[in-house]
Amino acid sequence: MNGVHDLGGTHGHGPINPEANEPVFHADWEKRVFALFFGTFAEGMLNVDQFRYAIERMAPAEYLRSSYYEHWLHTYELLLTEKGIITEAELAKKYAELKEAA
Amino acid sequence: MTSDSADVALRVKALESLLVEKKLVDPKALDAVVELYETKIGPHNGAKVIAKAWTDPDYKKRLLENGTAAIAELGFSGVQGEDMLVVENTPDVHNMVVCTLCSCYPWPTLGLPPVWFKAAPYRSRAVIDPRGVLEEFGVTVPAEKEVRVWDSNAELRYLVLPERPPGTEDMSEEELAALVTRDSMIGTGLAKAA
Amino acid sequence: MPNLTPEIVPALVAGGASAKVPDEVPARFKAGDKVMAKNIHPTTHTRLPRYVRGKTGTVVHDHGVFVFNDTNAHNLGTNPQRVYNVRFTAQELWGPGASPKDSVHIDLFDPYIDPV
Repeated sequence: MNGVHDLGGTHGHGPINPEANEPVFHADWEKRVFALFFGTFAEGMLNVDQFRYAIERMAPAEYLRSSYYEHWLHTYELLLTEKGIITEAELAKKYAELKEAA
Repeated sequence: MTSDSADVALRVKALESLLVEKKLVDPKALDAVVELYETKIGPHNGAKVIAKAWTDPDYKKRLLENGTAAIAELGFSGVQGEDMLVVENTPDVHNMVVCTLCSCYPWPTLGLPPVWFKAAPYRSRAVIDPRGVLEEFGVTVPAEKEVRVWDSNAELRYLVLPERPPGTEDMSEEELAALVTRDSMIGTGLAKAA
Repeated sequence: MPNLTPEIVPALVAGGASAKVPDEVPARFKAGDKVMAKNIHPTTHTRLPRYVRGKTGTVVHDHGVFVFNDTNAHNLGTNPQRVYNVRFTAQELWGPGASPKDSVHIDLFDPYIDPV
């Protein structure tokens, strides 16, 4: 699709700004999000092409604004609910419970 | 950057705990994956490949003919490196690798990609203004040299074989590997001077 | 019990999941052939970026046969296709103001290209 992810040759995104001595992961949640690819793939929940297309379906502004692993999180939430493996209601309920306990 | 880290972290926790409750995911397996990519899999692997290619002409030949097999000789293989091509920097050509569409990167040899590789500035500019990108990394490629950008948009993964720095003839493979930076294997840098 | 256990993680990671397949799919092109990337605009998943569509390049290498991402993303099957590395000059892509020396190499599936 002609999504905003198709960035080759576009202008205006600013300097590259490499981080010196960058850690592999910037937060604990990133580690879980990364590893979940292996968990979901091994369970036959998704393939890499469905995974990428789900990211491409993010709202453009959201795609550009959010960080890389947030894209992965969006993909799991979208794909797993689309496939009926989890429901939005279950996710919302669990989120509320965890927020309450925090 | 993330809009609200706490919110994102909670969403991740909600997702993972739900999958664990449903017995679809084992959190200890996730821990094992993280451990591998934080400690074992990284650019130090690729550096060994490069150092061997610099010192062993037969290995270099094999590496350029069948990257996957030659890299596997050193014990590096697998996820996001199943089909490798190694591209050699020469006096005539400087190679640089990008994934304009997402973040494709040769994990077994380089580990996980840095944030900049996966973000809009690099992905957009690498194909249209590679010399500008290289300047930002402090690398100047003379006008007579070709800058060749590889957009790894399919499932082939690319590794740059940087030029061997001069004055390193007497160095051991281990000493040479220490000169090979991660960026030199992406093509946004050169190997360190002796 | 989930498929992914801590014990199998190292082997799974080292083994990977190559998209290359042994299917016999004849090659329409060979190194040296001039090809044009199609002017297609699917709303579905594709690995053909906009910046090469309609541009003419030269086939550099035949990578062999791979799962076709465009169909695999939509449960339309692996639909194995040949993948070629195609070279586009910077001037072809970005106009006469671009470097006369530089190039972009990109991997194109057979259905993305036409002979010139």
